[in-house]
Amino acid sequence: MNTVEEILDFAIDREQQAADFYSNLAERVSSAWMKDMLLGFSKEEMRHKGKLKSVKLGDKLLNADQHVQDLKIADYTVDVEPAEDISLQDALIVAMKREKAAYRLYSDMAANIDDPELKSLFLGLAQEEAKHKLYFEVQYDEQIMRDN
Amino acid sequence: MSLKDLISPFYVWQRAFEKPYTQKRPIEDRPGAPRYRGFHMNSEECIGCGTCESICQNHAIDMVPVEGLEQRAGDSGLRPRFDYGRCCWCALCVDICTTRSLHLSNHYAWVTEDPDAFHFTAGTDAMPWNQNSLGYRRDDDYHLLVHDRVEMQALSAEESVAGFDEVMRGYTEEEAVLEADRCVECGICVATCPAHMAIPDYIRTVRKGDYEAGLRLLYETNPFSSTCGRICTHRCETVCVMGYQGDPIAIRWLKRAIVDRVPQEKYREILGDEVEENGKTVGVIGAGPGGMSAAYYLRRQGYAVTVYEAQARAGGMLRYGVPSYRLPDNQLDKDLEYIRSLGVEMRFNTQVGRDIPFTQLLDEHDALFLAVGLNQPSALRIAGEEHPRVLSGLRVLDDVASGKDPGVGKRVAVIGGGNVAMDAARVSRRLGAEVDVLYRRRIEDMPADPEEIRESQAEGCTLVPQAIPVEIRNASDSNQVTIVWGEAEMVADDKGGRPRPVLQEDRMHEETYDCIIAAIGQGGQIDFIPAEFRDRIEFKWNKFVPGDYQQTGLEKLFVGGDIANSRADAISAIEDGHHAARGIHRFLSGALDG
Amino acid sequence: MFEPNPPIDLSSGKYLKLWQGPQHPGITGNMSLELITRGDEVVDCKTHVGYLHRGFEKLMERRTFIQNFPVVCRIAVPEPTFNEYLYAAVVEELTGIESPPRAEWIRTLNLELMRLASYLMWLGGIGAAFGQSTVYQWTVTHRDYILDLFEEMTGARIYHMYIVPGGVRGRLPEGFEDRCRDVLNRVEKLLHDVEKVLFNNVVFKTRTKGLGHIPKEMVDPYGITGPNQRAAGFSRDLRKDAPYLVYDQLEFDLITATESDTYARSWVRYLEMHEGIRMLRQCLDRMPQDGPFQAKMPNVLHWEVPAGETYIKAECTRGEYGYYMVTDGSEYLRRVHVRGPSYTHAIALMEKLAVGTNIADIAGLMVSLHTYPPEIER
Ligand SMILES: Cc1cc2nc3c(=O)[nH]c(=O)nc-3n(C[C@H](O)[C@H](O)[C@H](O)COP(=O)(O)OP(=O)(O)OC[C@H]3O[C@@H](n4cnc5c(N)ncnc54)[C@H](O)[C@@H]3O)c2cc1C
Ligand code: SF4
Ligand code: SF4
Repeated sequence: MNTVEEILDFAIDREQQAADFYSNLAERVSSAWMKDMLLGFSKEEMRHKGKLKSVKLGDKLLNADQHVQDLKIADYTVDVEPAEDISLQDALIVAMKREKAAYRLYSDMAANIDDPELKSLFLGLAQEEAKHKLYFEVQYDEQIMRDN
Repeated sequence: MSLKDLISPFYVWQRAFEKPYTQKRPIEDRPGAPRYRGFHMNSEECIGCGTCESICQNHAIDMVPVEGLEQRAGDSGLRPRFDYGRCCWCALCVDICTTRSLHLSNHYAWVTEDPDAFHFTAGTDAMPWNQNSLGYRRDDDYHLLVHDRVEMQALSAEESVAGFDEVMRGYTEEEAVLEADRCVECGICVATCPAHMAIPDYIRTVRKGDYEAGLRLLYETNPFSSTCGRICTHRCETVCVMGYQGDPIAIRWLKRAIVDRVPQEKYREILGDEVEENGKTVGVIGAGPGGMSAAYYLRRQGYAVTVYEAQARAGGMLRYGVPSYRLPDNQLDKDLEYIRSLGVEMRFNTQVGRDIPFTQLLDEHDALFLAVGLNQPSALRIAGEEHPRVLSGLRVLDDVASGKDPGVGKRVAVIGGGNVAMDAARVSRRLGAEVDVLYRRRIEDMPADPEEIRESQAEGCTLVPQAIPVEIRNASDSNQVTIVWGEAEMVADDKGGRPRPVLQEDRMHEETYDCIIAAIGQGGQIDFIPAEFRDRIEFKWNKFVPGDYQQTGLEKLFVGGDIANSRADAISAIEDGHHAARGIHRFLSGALDG
Repeated sequence: MFEPNPPIDLSSGKYLKLWQGPQHPGITGNMSLELITRGDEVVDCKTHVGYLHRGFEKLMERRTFIQNFPVVCRIAVPEPTFNEYLYAAVVEELTGIESPPRAEWIRTLNLELMRLASYLMWLGGIGAAFGQSTVYQWTVTHRDYILDLFEEMTGARIYHMYIVPGGVRGRLPEGFEDRCRDVLNRVEKLLHDVEKVLFNNVVFKTRTKGLGHIPKEMVDPYGITGPNQRAAGFSRDLRKDAPYLVYDQLEFDLITATESDTYARSWVRYLEMHEGIRMLRQCLDRMPQDGPFQAKMPNVLHWEVPAGETYIKAECTRGEYGYYMVTDGSEYLRRVHVRGPSYTHAIALMEKLAVGTNIADIAGLMVSLHTYPPEIER
C-alpha cells in the first residue's frame, strides 16, 4: 500500500467487512431487538464506508490532529465470543474491541511509514476509528454500567 | 378677657416664613421610602406557583401564560398579572411568595394615558421601575409559611443495622397534620410526579383528617400507595415550592400517612369493588408494579386480566430487590392483595418464552401489556470475574428477600452506586459485614437516592468514589477474593452527558475481601419477542420505545415499566401501567387506531 | 335630656331647613346633619349616616384570617392602626398565639404615633372650624412628618398594614429612633406655638367656652368615652383601667377637665398629646433591640381559627374602640362587630348638642366630638 488511493481502498474494504460481520450475526440471532441492533451496527459501518468513499473522491478530509477521548473501557474488558445468544453487553464489547483493533492497526501503520502525507492519512483513519470506539464505550458506560 | 389673650395670637407670625413641606410635583421630586409599597416587580426566580394569586384578597392577580418563557420542570409557565384597579398594595403577595421573586418597588407615581397599562405582568412586561432596587421586601424574620419539615421518627443507625426492621417509623397523626399544613396547594409538584398524582388534594385530606377521601384520591393514579409512600423516588419533592426557602413538603411521607391509617379490610368498602365484566381479556406479562398497575386499572374497567409471572410471587423488583427495612413485605402485600381481590388471575412460575410462547399470548388475548423490568445484572466483564466469591447484587438481595443467607462474609466490597449497590451494601451491614462501596464516579454522580446514600453512610458503609475495578484475582485464602482497582479522573463529556471516569493506570490499588458484590447495572431480557416482529416494534438497545399510550407498532402489544422507560423507578412503571390501561381501553373500544 | 326634641312646625314659615353634608370634604364629612334653624340659631338637628357604608364586617366574613388584616385598616381612615391592633389581638386571643415582647413595644409605639398624628389632624380641624386656618397648615405639616415615619417603618403613609396577627411585619428601620425623636421635638415645639395662637386666643376662647356642654349624667347613657368623657370629669382610660400591650410599663398621666365644653375637650386632647409624646419617648428608649417580632405562625393560607368568641377593646384617640369576633373553627370568621366611639358620639349625642347653638358653630361642635364617619359605617 503505497498510495493514498490504495490505503483508502483498504480501509473502505475493512468497513465493508465490518458491516458484513454484523449483518451475518444478525442473520443468526432469533430475537427481534438483537437483530434490530446488529443491523443498526451494520448500517453504521456502511455509513463509515460512505464517508471514506467521499474522502477518496476528495469531497471530505480526514482530520489527523483531533483529540479523541479514550475512556479505556475496551482495554480492561475480557474478550467475548459473538454467539447467537449474545447479550447487549457482550455485543458492545465486541464492537468496541473491533474499533480498538482498527485504531491500533492504523496507528501502527502510521508509525511505520515515513511519507508525511501517508502518515497523516493513517493517523486520520486511526482517529476515525477512535471516534467509533468512543461511541461504543460511551454506550457501554450508559447502557451497561448505568449504576457504576 | 385678658390682654394676653388678645396679643398671644399674633405669635402666628413667628412661623410665617417657613417653607411649605408639601411637594409641588411628587412625581419627580419625591421617591418613596426604601420600604415603600409601590408597583410590583418580579424576578426570574418566579416559577409561577400562583400562591400570590390565592392569597390576594382583591383578586388583583391572574396567573397568565407568558410567551417566550423557557420551559422548566417545576415551572407552570404562568406569571402573575396585576390589576391596579383592584390592588390595595398590601403586599401579602410578596409576603407569601414562595421563591421570594416578588417584590414591590418604591415607585408609586405613574402617569399614562393608556388605562390598560395598569394591568401588567410583573417581571416580564417592561416597566419603568423594573430596575428599582428599593421597595418592600419581606423581612427575613417574618414568615407566613412554615419552612421546616416535620422530621419523621426513624431508627438510629445502630438499631437499623441490627436487623431488617423498617427504618422510617411513619408520622403520628399530629405530625402528619403539621406537615400537611405546610403545603400551599399550588400544584407545581403534580406535573413532575410521573403519575401526576393529585398531590395538593390528598395532602389536604391529611390536614382534614379525612383518610378515606385521601385513599380514594391516591387510587385514582396509584394503586401502590403504601409502597410509594415508602420508597418512591419522590421527584415531586425536588420541585416543591416550599423547597425554595426551606424544606420541600414530605409528599412521600404524607402519602404513607394516609395509607397507614386505613386498614386493608376497609379498602374494598372505601374504593368500591363492583366491576362489570366486559367480555374482553388482557394478558399482562410481569407482576411488578408496572404490570400490576395495568392489571388494576384494566380490571376496574371490566377486562378479564391474566398476569403471567416468572417468579412465585408478585411484586417484581419491589419484592425481590427492595429490602424490607425500606419496604416491609406486608406493606407491599397490602397493595397487591387489594389489586388481586378485584379478581385478577395470577399465573405464577410462568416465564414467557420458556414456559409459554409469546405468540400464544398474543393469540389468546385481545391485548397484552408487557412490563418485564430489568432483571439481568450486568456482568463485570473484567479478568477473573468467574471467581466464586464474586456475587451479583440482585442475587444477594433476592436471597435476602427469600429468607436465604447469601453468605457475604465479614468484609465486602460492593461495586456500583445505584439503588442496588446501596441496598446490597446496607443488607451486608445488617448481615454483619464491613462494607466498602467502590464507585467509578463521584459521590454526587451516584444514581442512588441521596437519602439512601446518607443512610448507608450513617450505617457505617464506606464509600470509595472514583475507583475503577480492573481485575479480580485469587486471594491466598480460597474463601477470599482480591480486587485490583485504579483511581479515576473525571473528564467532561463533550456532548453534554455526565462526566466520565477515565482510569489512571499509574494509580492502582489492591484489596482483599470475603466477597465482591457487583451491582453496576442491569438490563432487560426480551429475547422472547421473535425476530419476525422486528419491523413492527421499535427498540433502542434492549428496551422498547413505545408510542402514544405505551402502544407498540404491534397494535395489540403495549409496554411499560423499566423495560420501556429511562427513569427506572416504581412510580414511572405504575404510571406506564395506568397509561397503557387507558390506551388498551381506547384500543379495544375502537377509539385508538393501531 | 333623654326626650326627643320637641316637634317643629315647618309650615309656620319661621324656620329654615338646612343640610350640612354629606359632601363636606372635612373630617366631619361623609355624614349629614339636617338642621332646622330660626335665624342663625339651630333649633333641631337630625343626623344621617349611610353615605360611606362599605360593609366591612360582612366583607370580612368572606376573607380568610390573613386576608382580613389589609382590610381592617380601612375602617377608620385617619386611624388605621387601632383597627390593625385590635384585629390582631382578637385573632391572637382566639388562636392562643402570643405576639412577642418586641412586637408589643413596636405596636405601642405605632398606636401612640397614630394617636399623635390623629390628634394633630384634629387640632388643625378645631382651629380651622373657628377661623384659625393657619393652625391647620401647621398641624397637618407636622402630621406629615409622622406619616413620613410611618412610611419608612411600614411602607405606607395611611394604610400601614403593619400590625398583623402574630406580631408586626418588620423591624424598625435603621436610625428610625433618632428620626422619630426629632419629629417628637418638632411636634412638641409646635404644640407650644399652638397653645399661644389657639388656646390663648380670645376668639377661640369666646366661641368654644360653653359650646356643646355635655352634662355629666349624659355620659354613660349616651355611651360617651375617651376625651369627651374625660373632659366631663371622668378619670377613665382603658390604657390605665385595663392595660394592654406595654401600657402598664409606661409612665403617663390621665388628663381630665370638668367644664365639659368644646374648650375643655380641646384642652384635654392638647394635654394628652404631651402625654403621648412622653410615652413615645419611653417606647423609643426602652424598646428591645432584638428578638423576634413575630410569633411562630401556622401556614396562613389555610389558617383555621378555633371556634370561640371574644371582645377586645383599646383606648383609641376618641375613646373605646373594640372588636367583637365569633369564630366557628373554619378558615373564615363567623361574625365580627367593630365598636367605634364615633357611632355614639356622632349620631345621638350630636342631635342633642346641636340644639341651641349657632349655625356657624356646628362644624366646630362636630370637630370637638372628634368623630370619624368612616368608622360609624363598618
Ligand atoms: C435493589 C433495588 C432497589 C430499588 N429501589 C427503588 C426505590 O427506592 N424507589 C423506586 O421507585 N424504585 C426502586 N427500584 C426500582 C423499581 O423496583 C423498579 O423501577 C420497578 O420495580 C420497575 O417495575 P416493572 O414493573 O417495570 O418491573 P419489575 O419490578 O422488574 O417487574 C418485572 C416482573 O416481570 C417478571 N418477568 C420478567 N420476565 C418475565 C417473563 N419473561 N415472563 C414472565 N414474567 C417475567 C419479573 O419476574 C418481575 O416480577 C429499585 C430496584 C432495585 C433492584
Ligand atoms: S399587593 Fe395585595 S392587593 Fe395587590 S396584588 Fe398583592 S396581594 Fe393583591
Ligand atoms: S407539595 Fe409543594 S409543590 Fe406540591 S402543592 Fe404542596 S407546596 Fe405546592
